[in-house]
Amino acid sequence: MDERFSGFGAFILYTITAGMMLFILAPLLLVMAVSVSDSYFVTFPPQGFTLKWYAKVLQDRDFLEAMRLSILLALGTTAGSLLFGVPAAFALVRGRFFGLAAIKGFLLSPLIFPALVTGLALLQVLTRLGSQDARLNLLIGHVVVTSPYVIRTVVTSLQLVDENLEDAARTLGANRLTTFWRVTLPQIASGVAAGGLFAFMVSFDNYPVTMWLANSEYSPVPLVLMRQLVNVFDPSVPAMSTIIILMAMVGVLLLEKLVGLRRALAA
Amino acid sequence: MTTSDDAVAVLGVQAPPATRRASRWRLALPVGLLAVPMLAFLTYFFFYPALGLLLSSIQTQDSRGIIGRPFTLAHYARLVNVELYARVLWTTLRISIVTSLLATVLAYPVALVMVKSRPMVTRIITLIVIAPLIVSVVVRGYGWQLVLQNGPKGMLNWILMTLHVVDAPISVLYTEAAVVIGSLHVFFPMMVLPLASALSKIDPNLEDAARMLGAPWWKVFLRVTLPLSMPGFVAGFTLVFSLTAGSFVIPAILGGASAVMLGNLIEQQIFVVYDWPFGAAIAVVLVGLVLAVNGVSMWLLEGRRLRRTE
Repeated sequence: MDERFSGFGAFILYTITAGMMLFILAPLLLVMAVSVSDSYFVTFPPQGFTLKWYAKVLQDRDFLEAMRLSILLALGTTAGSLLFGVPAAFALVRGRFFGLAAIKGFLLSPLIFPALVTGLALLQVLTRLGSQDARLNLLIGHVVVTSPYVIRTVVTSLQLVDENLEDAARTLGANRLTTFWRVTLPQIASGVAAGGLFAFMVSFDNYPVTMWLANSEYSPVPLVLMRQLVNVFDPSVPAMSTIIILMAMVGVLLLEKLVGLRRALAA
Repeated sequence: MTTSDDAVAVLGVQAPPATRRASRWRLALPVGLLAVPMLAFLTYFFFYPALGLLLSSIQTQDSRGIIGRPFTLAHYARLVNVELYARVLWTTLRISIVTSLLATVLAYPVALVMVKSRPMVTRIITLIVIAPLIVSVVVRGYGWQLVLQNGPKGMLNWILMTLHVVDAPISVLYTEAAVVIGSLHVFFPMMVLPLASALSKIDPNLEDAARMLGAPWWKVFLRVTLPLSMPGFVAGFTLVFSLTAGSFVIPAILGGASAVMLGNLIEQQIFVVYDWPFGAAIAVVLVGLVLAVNGVSMWLLEGRRLRRTE
């Protein structure tokens, strides 16, 4: 810390910052603590130590089924949003055509639209079309929500690409495809990977779109968890939640490795 | 929404100027066509459904559930005139505004420390602020349910009673306050990140100059730092407001019956009452609210003639 903060001002800044760090971590740490505590009802401070709730969760057919669905859905969503998003990002950065700004705004518009309304609107259309397969409906809804994220991360990394390298490759006789594959793609690989990982995580946690398009047969993890919270008292919920927290942490560390956290989010 | 050049600035990387050479014109057509698949996809599964929702909000549903003519604005009138529904609208506005203001006040110190500390401290704070962002909102809502649990066994009450701040357990869960706390937790990073990038762009010499001329720290903040960080504040406030106004999970878990928000009302109208046109009308109002706030913020940012490339 340099001397730019001094005396009373610094004291206030640090106190509030430390307080906010506690505020952010407290509920997550409490969930983790409760997940290994040995009482059927939640009490504070947590009592005893046990892993029996984890054993229970790992035998819970509904939860495992939901996990499988969520992971498959997130993988499909990642593939779909990369398929649409990466070419679109190229068009936005390299293309020069009439209405570029408007098209960019349109492609990113799902980001400012309340996701809850996006899901509802989609439900109405899919119902009219008679699309009965919840898995397909969820996939479509998730790709709508995640592809703008892919566009943003890929656009950012494309803007950092040195076009002279491509020109050099072309001058040395590489054709367009080879140039893309050997020169351009390696430069944007981390951005594409970050976009894909982001799409995966957004899909895995998505509630506002999922709530409309899922049904009793196909319910992803967030919905199953919500039902357990609201309808029945289930002491294995903290363990389920902890598993989700740990998965998220792995995702965060991966993102940090790939492109750095702030860039991944603010891109 | 957020800007990549902010991120680039935070990282200390300089984006090359987007120079284009004339030779690129030859590539114009094929490269532009790469956007077509996504444009088609979004037109069909986002734009067209949104218009459909707008249409059904001014139509009538008959007893068989078929939506059609006559056209009417009655559903909108109902939302404003029926006290039960109007209250939901006000609750949503109140919770969103209070959450955004609280986030602003608390994010400034965190963003300042984040930007002006040693790299190690910056890294740790960034990690703590951002990591929960990736954790499911349902899980975070549940965490707050445990923290705020009413009765002496809840964490907050246990702490308050152990410290003798209160003698009897207080009830925070299932109130508007609980929804504000939960929303603040979920959307706080959305305020910190734009602020941090705005603060990192301020020339430290300006603050030093003010200090050398004898301004106390609070005056430096109010007169130099705060006005120069406005773009970050506007971006963050807009984000937090929009996301809070459109939330469903947090009010459902922490608010219960005493803090129903627009999202919860929409869900109830569609899944419980099956009143599609009314549900659609509420959704349109929610979108209007969010777009209005985004419009104002864009106008403010443009008005300051900020260079905001994506």
